[in-house]
Amino acid sequence: MSSSELLRVRGLSVAWEGRPVLDGVGLEVGRAEYVVLMGPNGSGKTTLLRQIAGLDPPGAGSISLRGRRIERVPPHRRGIGLLAQEVLLLPGRTVRENIAYGPEVAGLSSAEVDRRVEELLGLLRLTPLSERLPMQLSGGERQRVALARTLAPRPELVLLDEPLAAVDPELRGELRGELRRVFRELGVAAVHVTHDREEGLWMGDRVLVLLGGRLVEAGPPGEVHAHPHSVAVARFLGYSVLATPAGPRAVHPREVRLVPDGAGIAGRIAAIGPVGGEWLAEVALEEGGRIEVRGSGVAPYVPGERVHVRWEREVPLPPEEGPSPSPAQRG
Amino acid sequence: MRPRTGTVWILAPVLGFVALFALVPVVALIGEALAQQGAGGFVALIHDPLNLAALDNSLVQGGLSAAAAVAVGYPAGVFLGRYDWPGRGLVRAVLLVPFLLPSLVVVVGVEQLFGPGGPIGTALPFTGVFAHGLPGIVAVNVVFNVPLVVLLTAVGVESVPTALEESLATLGAPPARVYRDTWGPASWLGAAAGALLTFVFSALAFASPILLCGPRCSTLEVRIYALDQSFLDPAGAAFLAVLTVAVFLAPTLAYLVFVARLRSRPTAGERRGRAVPWRRPATLPMAAATLLLVAAVVTLLGEVVVRGFDAAAPGGAAGSALGYLFGPGAQATLGLSIVAAIGNTLVFAGSAAAIALLLGVVSGFLVRAGRRPAFGLSGVIYLPLLLSPIVLALALAGFWRPVLGGPSATWVLIVIAQSLLALPFALQGLSVALARVPRGYREGAQSLGASPFSAYLDAELPLARPALLTAAMFAFALGLGEFTATYFLATPATTTLTVALYRLSALRSPGPADAAAALLVLFSLAAFLVVELGGRRVEL
Repeated sequence: MSSSELLRVRGLSVAWEGRPVLDGVGLEVGRAEYVVLMGPNGSGKTTLLRQIAGLDPPGAGSISLRGRRIERVPPHRRGIGLLAQEVLLLPGRTVRENIAYGPEVAGLSSAEVDRRVEELLGLLRLTPLSERLPMQLSGGERQRVALARTLAPRPELVLLDEPLAAVDPELRGELRGELRRVFRELGVAAVHVTHDREEGLWMGDRVLVLLGGRLVEAGPPGEVHAHPHSVAVARFLGYSVLATPAGPRAVHPREVRLVPDGAGIAGRIAAIGPVGGEWLAEVALEEGGRIEVRGSGVAPYVPGERVHVRWEREVPLPPEEGPSPSPAQRG
Repeated sequence: MRPRTGTVWILAPVLGFVALFALVPVVALIGEALAQQGAGGFVALIHDPLNLAALDNSLVQGGLSAAAAVAVGYPAGVFLGRYDWPGRGLVRAVLLVPFLLPSLVVVVGVEQLFGPGGPIGTALPFTGVFAHGLPGIVAVNVVFNVPLVVLLTAVGVESVPTALEESLATLGAPPARVYRDTWGPASWLGAAAGALLTFVFSALAFASPILLCGPRCSTLEVRIYALDQSFLDPAGAAFLAVLTVAVFLAPTLAYLVFVARLRSRPTAGERRGRAVPWRRPATLPMAAATLLLVAAVVTLLGEVVVRGFDAAAPGGAAGSALGYLFGPGAQATLGLSIVAAIGNTLVFAGSAAAIALLLGVVSGFLVRAGRRPAFGLSGVIYLPLLLSPIVLALALAGFWRPVLGGPSATWVLIVIAQSLLALPFALQGLSVALARVPRGYREGAQSLGASPFSAYLDAELPLARPALLTAAMFAFALGLGEFTATYFLATPATTTLTVALYRLSALRSPGPADAAAALLVLFSLAAFLVVELGGRRVEL
C-alpha cells in the first residue's frame, strides 16, 4: 500500500439470490482524492458503496481502510461518511443539532462540537438557517445540511450516493461546485456515485466506470472520455457506435459536423431539438446506422431534411460480445 | 383537517350516523338520569363501595393486562416490523386472529388450556392459576389484546426509513444510539398506543370477569349491566356509564393521538427489511416471544376446535355435544335453534359490515379532501371508541327502543351497535390506503371536469378497492365476535352465537358451550381468511 492510499478494494463480489451484482471489483482511493464512480442504473454502484460503508452483509473479497481490513467492522466504527441520495435529517432537530449529531455521538466536548458546527455552518453557508427545522428547508438546503452533518465527525472518506439526483436542475450546478470546493478545502477523500456522465466527468479527479457489476474503465476524466475501451463504455459516455468492416468505431456527437453536399456521408435528420444551450440531431445514414450531432446556436435543420455528416476522429473499439452494432459506412 | 367549501354536506351521513346513534343517546341517558335523581344521585353513586370496587377492579385488571401485553407484545412487534424472515406475513396474519375472536372464545380456550385436564395445565401444574381468578382474566385480556400491541409496535418500527438509521450509523452512532434516536421512540409510540387500548378494553371487559372470577372481580361494565338489569336501577347505571366514559376518556384520546402521530410521522422514505441479526443477544428473546405468541394462538384455537368437536352431549345423552347443540335440547335452553342463532349472527355482522362499508366510502372522501389525511374530521369514525360497548348499548336501548318500537327494533339496534364498535378498526386500513393514493389521480379527473366527489369515486376509490373489501370483512369479523353490546340488547329471538355461547357457559353446560366455541372459531377463521384474501394488510 502506498502512503497516499486510503481505501483499497480487492476482488469484491456480491450476489443477490444467485445473481451477481458485483463481480471481482477492485479500486483504490488516495487521501483527499475525489473519485467518481459512474455507471447506468443497475450497474452495482450503490451496492459497492454500501459494501464500503458496511451497510450490507459483506461479500467475497477484501476492503481495507488505511491498510486495515474492515469487511467485518460495523458501519459506526468504520469512520466512513455516507451522503445518501435520499436526504433524511432527524426531523425534530434543528440544522445546528443535526450537524452536531456525529461529534456528539463521538463524545466530543461541547466546545469542540460547537466549533465544528460553526465551521461547517460557515463553510456551507448555512449560518442563517442554523435554527430551522428540516421541514422548513428547501431540497437544496437540506442537501447542504446533510453534507455538513456527514462531514462533522471528520471522516477521512465520504461516500456520496447520487447526491445531486434529487436536486432541481438549476441548483445542481451550484451544488456541484460547492461539493468540490468543500472537499478540496477540508482535504477529505470522496467516492461519488452518479449515473450522470457529465456530472461525473466534471467533478472527478479520477473516474471509474462500472458496467454490469464490473469495473471496466478507470483514469483521469479527460482520458476516460477521450478513449473509451469498449462499445458499452462508449455508449455510456454518449458516443455513437458504428459498425465498420474493421470493427466498431466510436464517434462523439461534438466531433461530428454537418457539411455541404458531397463532402460527407449522406443521411436524413431523424430527430432534432434543443438540449441545454445547444441542439442535438439524430441522423439516419443512408448507408445504414445512426449518428448523433451536436451544435451550438439555433437548430439549423428540420426532421426529414437531407444532410451530410463528417467527422475527424473516431475511436476503434474491440468487437462487442453478443449482438453487434448496426452496420454503417463511415466518412 | 378543514374540508373544502362545498364538501361539508358530505360530512352529514357520517356525522349524522355517529351523532344519532352514539352522541344523542348518551346525552339523553345522562339527561334522564339527572332528571330522575339529580346531582345527588351521582354523589351517592361515587360513594357506593360496590361501584368503587368495580372501578378499582377495572383499573387493576386494565393496568396488569396492558403491562403483560406490552411485555410479550413489544419484542414480537419489533421482530415483526424490523426484520425480513420467511413466513413473516403469515405470522403477522396469525397474530391478528385473537383480535377477531369473540372474547368469550378466548375465555373458553384459556380455561381449557390451563384448567384441569388441559394440555398446559396438566404438563405444567403451576400454570393452573391462569384458569380462573385475576390471573385468568389477565391471561384472556392479553391473548385478546396482544395483537394491538404487536401490530402497532410493528407500525412504529416500520415508520422509520431504513436510510435514516443507516445515515446515523455512518455518523458513528452505535445500534443502541440509533435505537434511541430513531426507531426506539417510534416503536414505543406504537406499543404505548396498543397498551392504552389494551388497558381500556381490559378495564371494561365483561365476560371474562364474570365467567372466570365472579362478582368480586366485577368491572365497571359488569356493574353497569348489573345495576340496569339485576337491580333495575337505570339511573344508577347511567351515572356509572358517565363515570366510565369520564375515567377512560383520557386514555382513549391518548390512543387516538398516538395513532395519529404514528401515521403522520414527518420522516419520508422507504423501509427496507433487513436480515435477522441472529448473533445479537436481543434477537433470540424477540424471536422467542414471537414464536410463543404464535404457538399460544395456534394451541388455543386447536384446543377449542378439537375439544368442541370431541365433547360429549350433556346429562349422559347419547351423541356428541355438537349434535346436541343442533337438537331440541339446546333449543329449549336457548329459546331458539342454533341454526337460527347462526343466521342472526351472519345477518347482524353482514349488515354491520355493509354500514361500515358505506360510511367508509363517505369518510374516505374526507380523508382525501383534507390536508392532513390521517386525522381530523375523519376522526368522527373514532368517536365510538370513547364509549364502551355496555354504555353504547345502554344508551341505544334507552333512547332508540321506544322510538323504533316493534320487534325489529332489537336487530336494528344490534346492527347499529356492531357497526359503531367496528368502525374505528375496520376503517383504519382504508384510511391508510386512501392516504397513499397519489393526489394526481383526483387532480387529473378534476381537470377533465369531474366534481371532487365523482373524481374520488371514479379515480381514487378503485385504487383502494382491496382496502375497502378488507374493511368490510374486518367489520364483519368484528361483528361476528361482538358480545357485550349484543348480549345487552339481544332478546331470545335475536340471540347470536356469542350470546348463545355465553348462556351455555353461564349455565355451566361445558359440552355444548365447547361445541359452540368451536363453531365460533370456525366462523371467525373463515372471516379471517376472507380478510386475508382481500390482499390488503389490516391496520389497527
